[in-house]
Amino acid sequence: MNPIVITLFLVIVGITLAITYFAAKKTNTASEFYTAGGGLTGWQNGLAISGDYLSAASFLGIAGAIALYGFDGFLFSIGYLVAYLVVLFIVAEPLRNLGKYTLADMINSRFNAKKVRAGAALSSITIVIFYMIAQLVGAGALIQLLFGIPYWVAVLLVGIMMTIYVLFGGMTATSWVQIIKAVLLMAGTIIISFLVLAKFNFNIVEMFSFMKTATPHGADYLNPGVKYKAPLDTLSLMIALVLGTAGLPHILMRFFTVRNAKTARSSVMWATWIVGIFYVMTIFLGFGAAAFVGQELILSTNPAGNMAAPLLAQALGGDILMSFVSAVAFATILAVVAGLVLSGASAFAHDIYGQIIKKGKATEKQQMLAARYASVGVAVFSIILALGAQTLNVAFLVSLAFCIAASANLPVIVYTIYWKKFNTAGALSSMITGLVSALILVSISPSVMSPVEGAAIITGNPIFPLTNPALLSVPLGFLGGWIGTMLTKEASEAKFAEVKVKANTGGFRQL
Amino acid sequence: MVVAELKKEVEIKDSPVLPDFEEIEASSSFQELMKKKKAFLVPSTILFLGLYILFPVLISYTTILEASFIGDISWSWVYALGLFVMTWILVTVYMKKAAGFDRMANDTLKEFNYEEEGDQ
Repeated sequence: MNPIVITLFLVIVGITLAITYFAAKKTNTASEFYTAGGGLTGWQNGLAISGDYLSAASFLGIAGAIALYGFDGFLFSIGYLVAYLVVLFIVAEPLRNLGKYTLADMINSRFNAKKVRAGAALSSITIVIFYMIAQLVGAGALIQLLFGIPYWVAVLLVGIMMTIYVLFGGMTATSWVQIIKAVLLMAGTIIISFLVLAKFNFNIVEMFSFMKTATPHGADYLNPGVKYKAPLDTLSLMIALVLGTAGLPHILMRFFTVRNAKTARSSVMWATWIVGIFYVMTIFLGFGAAAFVGQELILSTNPAGNMAAPLLAQALGGDILMSFVSAVAFATILAVVAGLVLSGASAFAHDIYGQIIKKGKATEKQQMLAARYASVGVAVFSIILALGAQTLNVAFLVSLAFCIAASANLPVIVYTIYWKKFNTAGALSSMITGLVSALILVSISPSVMSPVEGAAIITGNPIFPLTNPALLSVPLGFLGGWIGTMLTKEASEAKFAEVKVKANTGGFRQL
Repeated sequence: MVVAELKKEVEIKDSPVLPDFEEIEASSSFQELMKKKKAFLVPSTILFLGLYILFPVLISYTTILEASFIGDISWSWVYALGLFVMTWILVTVYMKKAAGFDRMANDTLKEFNYEEEGDQ
């Protein structure tokens, strides 16, 4: 480890701890803990959403995927961005108008049934745990590579940092860690993109011509089909990407940190620009890495291609830029896992403890204690799982998280806001069908079953052919909700008028 | 008798009077808002999801996007970046439209004597 890396690393740790110290003074109530008191402005929340969303998988993963597979790597960028239109048009404002801290709040504004709340909390917790293990295992491996420290030390380090932010600083600290990370990440990406473009005299056509012969894939590198050869697999992946975002608990939670739907809307607008510009630049990162580092070196450093961006920084800007990019990657990991801990804790402490066990009658002090215990619980549980999962290929965990979000959460959100006949049984059957079908289909898919011994968890021919089951499980989630509603007589049409008025006007929130 | 009536009054003051949501929902101003919202959201959602899903279909089942746009840049990249531009345009248009929705929503709320506590 060189001294610049250590210095930058300590600077980031120092700044984030200072933020946590100041945020802790402002974190005295459950509302301040979960939503920073709802006081974030549009651009602040927009940056925080970007910080929450652009995980190490986005930054290092997509850069690596484009470096290795060319156009096919860029498919992720497209899906992750267009997903924001689903968030903006369908989910963000009603969620802000109807909910308090969690997705379950919003669904329960119509049904007020414990089992519906429990179902929503369960799917949120499942998504958070899978996402968290993926992030922590990825983080451990990455920090091991970047800083040369053992895997378990890296996981513990990230684990302790995220616990400190959330435990003491709640949403205020988490948001500011995300905002700073987003700014650093954009700065780092702009610098590298500029250096890459400068090598091609800022001529995009010249860059593409060069890339045609720069990789072993030849001209295919610039066209679809290098990695995703099965059409239905591609389609299914794209569906999970575009619909999953609108059901991710840690993204949804960010809409409660602003004062009204108008600010929620403007924060999505900010996020769309920031995230979009970032994803355009992933082309330059990927191409640059393939051109100036070379696929051979990228693959030999890390078979998944995760080191493409740091290696590119090394090639273009030497140790200083490499250290900066490594520090940014570290900040990226911290910001995302902190957001995940917070959303997992809210499902446990607010939904299960506060609303189901205490029936909404917990005192402010009890709520705060529960929130903090739950944060530590979620953090410790994920750290233990991550320590045991080191050798696991975690890529499928992220796709599973997106798939559950799209199959279990999105249908129930859409039905709750837009379907008059929808009822309690429908809400429950929609969430359970989506969750269970996503889990089962993934566990019999090529991600888990492979005929090559050691390539996946189970050796054997996959029963279900698609790597990502969204193509089937999302329609199943919608179908489950429809059948559940049709089979039961119970109606919630009067309540629907209330939900519709509240969701669309933003009024009557206190009632 | 008097005490009982007073008590009743106090109770009414303490517990918020629930508005008749079905009445608000049926009001012409709210219906107008929903109509305007639907007129924008339904077609634009179909448009963006349609264009988005068409993309993997085109690149998986056909080679038409592999034709050259300029030099070695194929139409696949143009389509992909087109989806980026589409996202930004739709977001911008929605922000403008939504300002109008906000005004209509506020009118509805005022009509039913709801005082906004925030700054909508």
